[in-house]
Amino acid sequence: MTNVRARNESAWLLPTDGTRTNHRLREDMRRFADTEEVDLVVVGCGAGGSVMTQRLARSGWRVVVLDAGPFWDPDSDWVSDEAGSHHLYWTEPRVIAGANPVPLGSNNSGRGVGGSMVHYAGYTPRFHPSDFETFTRDGVGADWPLDYTDLKGYYRAIEEELPVAGEKWPWGDPHSYPHRPHPVGGNGEIFLRGALAMGITAKVGPVAITNGRFGNRPHCIYRGFCLQGCKVNAKASPLITHIPDALAHGAEVRADAMVTRVEVDQRTGRATGVHYVRGGVAHFQRAAMVAIAGYSIETPRLLLNSASARFPDGLCNDFDQVGRYLMVQGAPQTAGRFDAEVRMYKSPPPEVSSEEFYETDPSKPYQRGFSIQTVSPLPNTWAEHVAAQGHWGRSLREYMSDYVHWSCLGALCEFLPQPDNRVTLAEEKDRHGLPVARFSYTQCDNDAALMRAAQAAMEDLLHAAGADEVITIDRFAHLVGGARMAADEQHGVVDSDCRTFAVPNLLITDGSVLPTQGSANPALTIMAVAARAAERLASRRSHPD
Amino acid sequence: MSDTAPGPRPDRFPGFDVLDQSRHWDSVTTGVVLSRIEMPPDIRFFTPDEQAVAAALCDQLLDQHGDPEDPTRVPVVNLIDSRLAEQQTDGWRYQDMPEDAQAWRDTLAALDREATNRFGVGFAAGSRAQQAMVIQAVQDLGSADWHGLVAQHVWSLWSRYACTAFYSHPSAWNEIGFPGPAYPRGYKNPGVDSREPFEVPDAFPDDDPVRSSR
Repeated sequence: MTNVRARNESAWLLPTDGTRTNHRLREDMRRFADTEEVDLVVVGCGAGGSVMTQRLARSGWRVVVLDAGPFWDPDSDWVSDEAGSHHLYWTEPRVIAGANPVPLGSNNSGRGVGGSMVHYAGYTPRFHPSDFETFTRDGVGADWPLDYTDLKGYYRAIEEELPVAGEKWPWGDPHSYPHRPHPVGGNGEIFLRGALAMGITAKVGPVAITNGRFGNRPHCIYRGFCLQGCKVNAKASPLITHIPDALAHGAEVRADAMVTRVEVDQRTGRATGVHYVRGGVAHFQRAAMVAIAGYSIETPRLLLNSASARFPDGLCNDFDQVGRYLMVQGAPQTAGRFDAEVRMYKSPPPEVSSEEFYETDPSKPYQRGFSIQTVSPLPNTWAEHVAAQGHWGRSLREYMSDYVHWSCLGALCEFLPQPDNRVTLAEEKDRHGLPVARFSYTQCDNDAALMRAAQAAMEDLLHAAGADEVITIDRFAHLVGGARMAADEQHGVVDSDCRTFAVPNLLITDGSVLPTQGSANPALTIMAVAARAAERLASRRSHPD
Repeated sequence: MSDTAPGPRPDRFPGFDVLDQSRHWDSVTTGVVLSRIEMPPDIRFFTPDEQAVAAALCDQLLDQHGDPEDPTRVPVVNLIDSRLAEQQTDGWRYQDMPEDAQAWRDTLAALDREATNRFGVGFAAGSRAQQAMVIQAVQDLGSADWHGLVAQHVWSLWSRYACTAFYSHPSAWNEIGFPGPAYPRGYKNPGVDSREPFEVPDAFPDDDPVRSSR
């Protein structure tokens, strides 16, 4: 491992006494006044915002990161329980629309320091080189204004910082991982068995879960509650992978602070800071530079809610690009029934993946592809899967009592970016009086074809493993896009360095800048893109004004 | 789909009680889970009429027709009522549905109207068979209209709230063999047909609901 500690000490700043939070580090945190013009204010402390904060704090910048949610303490704030984890999700009102509306909340939306990575499964695959030029290669989607080689070094760096465990990865740009693959539980065993029988390559990983000690972070205990926030500090989220180091380098994390508007000087056209509400009190934090990292729903919403005389249709929205090309991945979930006991709740849900179907196959009637992963739903989510088959009453209870016999796989289908899949403002207002986001989604024919192809592949795989029956629920996973990067302002909101085309000192450093999504879980790529943007920003301005 | 053979459900995990392990849970989780087996929260959101319809609906959806005093009975209506009183939504609503609390009021009233139209008696006062017919009709409508709403969005609202309330309860975990909280203990024996010392094997492993429903 290439001296991770020297560039990110987070894991060594956590306590060694069995508790999970370094309270002293938080108490001693540097605090800036609203009136002080900081070098950078970051909006949102998730995957993108945290990396941005940590990198620039290390470069000597005075950075404040605001988050609408809490500064979590895994010991006191998180539980080993599904329903009790409801507060991890963004549950402010939102409206979903379109022909295929996509549920939000627990499905894809986090809050608080760590963002959605607090409750993501933990899969951290890289994108494939093809993902950066799907238009050129396959005539669909979009080309990025950067390519895989621009991100490769940042992928490696972040993989070391999380760190990622997995087998040597044969797909995309083949690479290895810093931690060895984890042992697998029943669900992973079934996947590997089915894949072997089918002649499909499947690999253990890649998961951002420590396999062995890493700094002061302990080994995973195979508890199975990855999606409820890791109380162990084994699964990576920025709360433990980037924020401790950021604090140690003088950054301030200001939690429970809801940013309501980005202010732009109407004369100079430059951002001057952000308005936010904390404890019911309105504040304005002055800043020389602003980075928005609120993810694919809240980032466009904040831009649209920051309309002004200069930007009457929303900040950075001169070309009607804000909120558009938002993507989810089609995530059909197929379960198979075995006479043996699988007990898929034991071990992390993310265990085994296959990217065998990831790339465009010319023999198929659709472009691009899908990946397959273990998912292992806990009882509440499993009940949703069973209820989706139409069961209720007695048959629901009987199916549910069969829980220990089921194995469950999930696919990630590369849905294509489309202009009308977008965030707009609804009539309804939240408690701050701000219009809430309306998120509209309609699948194209290619999207729908991928859903069925992925379902068929998972059914075949489970049958090959010995399942006597399979059942599927159509779900959706992840969010990216909504303020995408592009070659120019007519096709996107930011450039390849995450700088908005419209406002010279405003950046967007989160998943909303991704122009395509591949069939990979987006967290690692979001972090890598933010790390690259941070490095290029710091190198341009070694001494910020 | 609700009807299968009548009679009591088999106890598939005899002797299994997740609460036997509660001394091994962390204190925060213990507080959250044990609060569910305490006295149910008072009804604050539903009117008495709504409460009666909601109770009949949830009894149907979750097949809880037994003794109301049974200590293993999950107080589903109280748990849903609490969420609605506290506006604890899932973080989204369909554009064609009112926000969740109003949607519950509207759909419970519609259930009552529907039962009255069909059987001349309100939903809660109807027979189990009559209630089941009304509910099944909503599910069967799919994307069609039911009392001014998209039927499957109504179904989604009911089943999401009801299933989450029910399958968060230790009684339900006992029924499905799920040990519940696992921190700081974790698991030492993952893998097909592997069990921890406190896990109980399925007493009816061949009792495959899929096979039996064919």
